[in-house]
Amino acid sequence: MQVDIQNLTKKFGDVTAVADVSLDIRDGEFVAFLGPSGCGKTTTLLMLAGIYKPTDGTITFGERIVNLVPPRERNIGMVFQSYALYPHMTVFGNIAYPLKLKNVSRADQQERVKRVADVMGIGELLDRKPAQLSGGQQQRVALGRALVKEPDILLFDEPLSNLDARLRLTMRAEIKALQKRLGITSVYVTHDQVEALTMADRIAVMNKGRLEAYATPEDLYDHPRTTFIANFVGNPPINMVDVELAQENGQVVARCAAFTVPLDSERVRKAVAHGRKLTMGIRAEDITLGDDAALTGEVYAVEPLGREDMLDVRIGAESFFALATPQQRMRAGDRIGLHIDAERLQFFDPATGKSVLWE
Amino acid sequence: MSHAQRAPQSPQTPQMAEPLSTVADTVIRAVRGALITAAVLIVLALFFGRLFGPLWKSLNVDESFSQTLAGLASLLLPLAVYLALGMGARAHRKRSTTQAAVITIALATVAVAIFYILNTSQGAGAAAEQSSLQFAATQTADGIVVDAIEPGGAAELAGLLPGDVITALRRDPITLAQLESAVAESEPDTPFRLRLLRAGEEMQLTVRTVAVAVESAGLKLGPIAAAWIGGAAVALIGLFGPPGWAPYILLTVSLSPLILGFAWLAVATVSYRTQGLLPIDAQGNVGGLTLENWSFLGIGGEAPATPIWSYAANSLFIAMLMTGVTLVLSSMAGYALSRMEFSGRRFFLSLTLILHSFPAVTLLIPVYLVLLNLGKIPLIGPHIGFNSIGGIALVMIAFGLPFGVWLMKGFFDNISWDMERSALIDGASRWRTFWEIILPQIRPGLLALGIFSFIGGWNAYLIPAIFSIGTKAANLPVYIRTLTGDTNAVNWNQVVAVGVFQMIPILVIFVFAQEYLLNIYSGGSKGSS
Repeated sequence: MQVDIQNLTKKFGDVTAVADVSLDIRDGEFVAFLGPSGCGKTTTLLMLAGIYKPTDGTITFGERIVNLVPPRERNIGMVFQSYALYPHMTVFGNIAYPLKLKNVSRADQQERVKRVADVMGIGELLDRKPAQLSGGQQQRVALGRALVKEPDILLFDEPLSNLDARLRLTMRAEIKALQKRLGITSVYVTHDQVEALTMADRIAVMNKGRLEAYATPEDLYDHPRTTFIANFVGNPPINMVDVELAQENGQVVARCAAFTVPLDSERVRKAVAHGRKLTMGIRAEDITLGDDAALTGEVYAVEPLGREDMLDVRIGAESFFALATPQQRMRAGDRIGLHIDAERLQFFDPATGKSVLWE
Repeated sequence: MSHAQRAPQSPQTPQMAEPLSTVADTVIRAVRGALITAAVLIVLALFFGRLFGPLWKSLNVDESFSQTLAGLASLLLPLAVYLALGMGARAHRKRSTTQAAVITIALATVAVAIFYILNTSQGAGAAAEQSSLQFAATQTADGIVVDAIEPGGAAELAGLLPGDVITALRRDPITLAQLESAVAESEPDTPFRLRLLRAGEEMQLTVRTVAVAVESAGLKLGPIAAAWIGGAAVALIGLFGPPGWAPYILLTVSLSPLILGFAWLAVATVSYRTQGLLPIDAQGNVGGLTLENWSFLGIGGEAPATPIWSYAANSLFIAMLMTGVTLVLSSMAGYALSRMEFSGRRFFLSLTLILHSFPAVTLLIPVYLVLLNLGKIPLIGPHIGFNSIGGIALVMIAFGLPFGVWLMKGFFDNISWDMERSALIDGASRWRTFWEIILPQIRPGLLALGIFSFIGGWNAYLIPAIFSIGTKAANLPVYIRTLTGDTNAVNWNQVVAVGVFQMIPILVIFVFAQEYLLNIYSGGSKGSS
């Protein structure tokens, strides 16, 4: 089922929760809504579910405008952050409930619930009450309940936030695999960029009710359209520094209060053409440490992440995140040279926050 | 103290390193514990009796409560001291159990002696005063014959003459022993209305007691021995009782007034009269049990013209109507107020809150007029108007609904919105969501409100008493009122019996439902899965 959202707006009284959002979801696609809390992503999801009625704009499922269609006629399945399992029903009762409401015969209910439960690996738990299940098992039941009526669209509202880190990793892979196998159009709301980047075919980044970007994970990461996207996507967060680009001895240099560094790449040349005062973005993995570098800084703090160490390097008043291998044995107070990969730099207009490299 | 006892195996316990305590150590420790306990209780008694009580009294608040607490603290004092003595000697049991027991009993003996001396010097000793009527008398078959009158004493002032035969105190026949104990127990200046025969004529005299100094009555061995045995026993409980018992013993003792109250209730229903906890017959002797008070049940006497079952049925109908209607309306209104946005919602909420805090008494006359007019509706009027069960239930429901609606709203507020969103997406209608998904989750709340309404309806007095005439719609509390309100003498023991009869269903409900009733005050389904 393909979904088309046009100029979707939702107001609660004077508060605009979602403003003029337009996007399309292809049949069988996995789309993530990504954004900080309060950005309107869940509101958008609930409008897709039919819980909220849009103030303005249209939602189209296939050929049908569903703005005023009640939830039960939309044939959707939804998984909630709190799982929202019915505590007074057994696991079987929970999964069978959508079927019961559709007046599916008792024998059919048995069979379909059994099938879904086996897919989800909870076939043994059908007689239990939700309170007797672990978080991961509850999550599977919730997913099973959403899947059992063979929905056209699956909606996920931060389904993994209540799980511990390890389980989250497993469930992430499972949900992704299941979605691909069943080919159900899915919308997944999350504030966790790793979830969005790893699971989604396309990511809709939302901020303050507006759609900031709608692109594939790779595109989003490599070609951030705004400073918001660049800041929000990627871990550790991208380093941002306000610089002035200038020509010196036939070479482009970036100059700020703390340092002056020569840069040469296609992106730099494209940026210079737009103007001189710009915000420059450098991802931590694009900074290599070396002795013979144009930039030197002092290690302010070291955060061991296991596979690598994250460094907070200070150059004057500016602070940079950089990565080092544990073998390099960086210590706070060490002086190191920073090598910037000029081909991977991002440049934004400081006034508008828009990228000068990507439209 | 008891904690150290329980963990002697632990090598870290410092007691293991120290040498076993000597007799002197044990005595010192026990005495110290007893002194601390006594000091605490004295401070408590002084606090409630001398500071707290007067403070409350100055605010015109009835302060019998603080006096009771003060009395309780002084009452518990000897007991607590004996216990503390015994517990202080516990450590000595490791050395020698016999020695510990001997020390405990010896200390308890000293404590008993001290308390006795304190008591006699305060109450019964040479300096003590006692109420007296100041005449001498002997008991005869006719009554108490006055032998001599103290010159200038209370009896003479009242006009009592030697040779008078006292037959009764007020209307009650009395013996010399009873009169003496009653006088001794009374405060000074208590009036005693004596009925007496003087030269064959019956007459009444009121004599006021006066306080007189009492010569030392000498040592009475009986009470001393009893006190000593009791004290030693309590001290030994402190010594040998399982650790951690002391609080329970103290709590049980301090609960005793309550327990005694219930015990009296039970005794009073099956006796003509009671003195203390003892049933007594017409002659003032112990005994005289009777089932007459329960005659309303058709046992032990003649049943009243209107059987009690008619009142009980009315009570039951009112309670059930109230429970049913309150549950249905409160849950539906509470759900709407919790979940739906509609104009006037806030206004409605504040209105119900105001209604909840509105004293029902002030609305009685308007409600009476409303009920009168409701009664004029054809067909259903007689069932919901004045002097009908329906009408009474209707008024009670109206007064009870604001509380119910707010309570239910609170319970619904605690249920996550995701739950019903999920149900709606699963394909349920709003009504089914309410009925199949949300309501089952507030079952503890429904039970609590149901029980609360039932008890309220069953015990209701004000509304049924005012909006019913005669026996048609009268319930049990109204019946009890008729028992006490008539011009003929009130049989209080029968009143108690009906009260107990009325209490039985409530008691049964409480036993099974106290857990849910507590939910009213927590307002959530926490703790019930």
